[in-house]
Amino acid sequence: MSTLLVEICLGTSCHLMGSQDIIDAIESLPPDKRGKIDLRGVTCLKTCRKGPNARINGVVLSEMTPERTLAVIEDNLP
Amino acid sequence: MNRLYPEIAVAQLSKAGEELCGDKVEIARTEAATTVVISDGLGSGVKANILATLTTKITSSLLKRNVPITEVVPTITQTLPVCRERKIAYSTLQIIKLLPDSMATVVEFDSPTTFLFRGGQVVPFPTEARNIGGKAIREGRLLLGEGDIIVAVSDGVIHAGIGGLLKLGWDWPGISAELAAHCSPADDAEKIAEHILGCCNGYYLGQPGDDSTVVVIKLRRPRNLTLFTGPPANRDMDEQIVKRLMGGEGKKVVAGGTTANIVSRVLGLPVNVDLNYQDPEIPPIATIDNLDLVTEGVLTLTAAIGRLHDIRKLRASARRDGATLLARLLYEADRIDILAGTAVNPAHQNPNFPAQINIKAQVIANLRNALEDLGKRVTVEWV
Ligand code: FES
Repeated sequence: MSTLLVEICLGTSCHLMGSQDIIDAIESLPPDKRGKIDLRGVTCLKTCRKGPNARINGVVLSEMTPERTLAVIEDNLP
Repeated sequence: MNRLYPEIAVAQLSKAGEELCGDKVEIARTEAATTVVISDGLGSGVKANILATLTTKITSSLLKRNVPITEVVPTITQTLPVCRERKIAYSTLQIIKLLPDSMATVVEFDSPTTFLFRGGQVVPFPTEARNIGGKAIREGRLLLGEGDIIVAVSDGVIHAGIGGLLKLGWDWPGISAELAAHCSPADDAEKIAEHILGCCNGYYLGQPGDDSTVVVIKLRRPRNLTLFTGPPANRDMDEQIVKRLMGGEGKKVVAGGTTANIVSRVLGLPVNVDLNYQDPEIPPIATIDNLDLVTEGVLTLTAAIGRLHDIRKLRASARRDGATLLARLLYEADRIDILAGTAVNPAHQNPNFPAQINIKAQVIANLRNALEDLGKRVTVEWV
């Protein structure tokens, strides 16, 4: 089964800007969706000014919110 | 030769109803020697505390200036006031001095006999009676080895339970039997000190009749830790600094996401962020092969300093957040070498956190102070 790689930045800046909330939102997705996501943490995506940052399918996305992240995931799920 | 490190723990109880302990312990670590000076002031409370403090402070500062023990003892005994009615000195004095080659010297002046706990057996630390400046003291020297433990107690421990649970008090043989039966040479110094003091408090039924002090000195191999935090000023230095980190003896710790990325790049090993344990305050830890711990930087360091201020709580804590794990590793080390990067950290280039660089210097200074207060040897190198 192919999965969607979702990397959330957990560096100092992104942590302070709320990246943990994004992780929590992904973790609480229903199992069928959660199972298709390869969720990982990364330490800094070098765009700290515009955190919290995520990298979904290799694309860095800035100023993320839990809602936006879930929406992007929804669009990209295999 | 492998130099051994004296791990020292002190546990104390004040006489019931007294706020100040009349026993005083002064520990001095220098390159030349580690000295522990213990003094029990006559009586209890403020007066005893002042006398004991005077005794330990004077002794310790004389010894630090390399004044030989044979001169220190008469200086102290001649300075100390003598109780007019009871014709005894107002405070006792006990010195334990350890040289880097593990040669131990013990001097006892009116103090209980020192215990030597070696290979599960407890014997009196071998001393001989001597007369220095008209005062009868006991003095002895012995070469210690790895795992040897010296225990010194004040009168309060010797007399624990006297006239109550134990007619004649716990006494020397009782304490030595307790050590042999319930403490192991594998225990750390703190565990042994707390155990003996706990028994002492028990015999007093929680109402100590005298100030009670237990000092435990254990010789073991030194534990080093190298902490790399913050990206180096110059990218060209990354490789060299990572080599220093990896080449160091003992534990290797990285604090900082950007720093972790540098180590990962230089070593060609991935950083894996651990999402299994989540903590509301402390960012998650990560792993890189061959490193003992990888944490986030400034927030984790700041919280770790806080944890180091309450060692009892730290030891008992079941938390596994980065700050607790980091504080524990730092607490377990004797010598800590900090490689602190001075580059402007991209992770701090957020308009919300101005002046981060000064904050970093402040955090490292606070960390150093906290560790030095715990008796650690700390070096900081700005890279
Ligand atoms: S901390 Fe998230 S991009 Fe730098």
